Amino acid sequence: MATESPAWRIKADSETVERDLTRLVLTLVELVRQLVERQCVRRMDQGDLTEEQIEVLGVTLMRLEEAMTDLCERFGLTPEDLNLDLGPLGTLLPTE
Amino acid sequence: MSDSGTYLYAVASESVPVDVPGVAGTPVRTLTRGALVAYVSTVPLAEFGEEPLRHSLEDLDWLAETARAHHRVVEEAARVPVAPVRLVTVYADDDQVHELLDRRGEEFLAVLFHVTGRREWGVKAYAGQAAGPAATPVNGGDPGRPGTSYLSRRRESLRGREQARRLAVTRAEHIHASLSRLAVASRRHRAQDPRLSGHDEWMLLNGAYLVDVGRDEEFAALVGSLGGDGVDVRLTGPWAPYSFTVLEPG
Repeated sequence: MATESPAWRIKADSETVERDLTRLVLTLVELVRQLVERQCVRRMDQGDLTEEQIEVLGVTLMRLEEAMTDLCERFGLTPEDLNLDLGPLGTLLPTE
Repeated sequence: MSDSGTYLYAVASESVPVDVPGVAGTPVRTLTRGALVAYVSTVPLAEFGEEPLRHSLEDLDWLAETARAHHRVVEEAARVPVAPVRLVTVYADDDQVHELLDRRGEEFLAVLFHVTGRREWGVKAYAGQAAGPAATPVNGGDPGRPGTSYLSRRRESLRGREQARRLAVTRAEHIHASLSRLAVASRRHRAQDPRLSGHDEWMLLNGAYLVDVGRDEEFAALVGSLGGDGVDVRLTGPWAPYSFTVLEPG
């Protein structure tokens, strides 16, 4: 049966595979970054971080965000590209 | 084993002529059993058998074409009360459909009675990007502590988003409750993926409402009154009562 393959299937040719792989890695990094960021905000609210710790964490997360933006630009990816669709569970990252 | 099956579109209590082609271009026939009429087509199992269907259902073009054909037949038949069945319901042969009508005749009649004189309307509510309260303007923070200011900004943005989400959920509950009071029956479907519907906005509500024919205008006016404040409420229909006639298989 000659059905056309759906558009969302990953094609295993060398050009797209590299981009798809980069996309997957950046997605996971961004997920972890957002989780850590939320955890920091939570602990900041609970008051169990010192001012120094908050400052250091904040700077680190800010730099990571900048680095993510740079990497995305270099590979021509948008924030939506890093958001995996998990079907009934919604998307991996919150949508803006 | 036979190489064709019987595709079932809908069940009704009286038959009307259906002049449109069915799925895969097949002619539509009716099967009568007692007080019930079933609209069916003979379909090749090479396309509609269990195994080929598994592949076909992943083919969006095939699916769209089949859904359109199914819908066309149901719309034709819906000049009188009908109970549409789920897309791609295929039986081994006509006898199996006869057997279904015998076994579940009472249920079909009850469903048909329930939808008589009523029509289904779809109501979708969307939140634009600006539905929530505007993010609190952030004060510059301490320029000597950029990390702390960064985290404070993130905190505000996370809170704003959470609050917007809660407001939107409450709003959807309110819209659904108001419409349900006017409708005879109502159902909430899962919100559609923005990419499928072609709308960028977040779908808050994907509801189906069974409304008495005489109250159509009242219902439409109510739908109109529930929008605003960044929430867009859209009415579609009337539809054949797809959401209120599906009998669970068994």
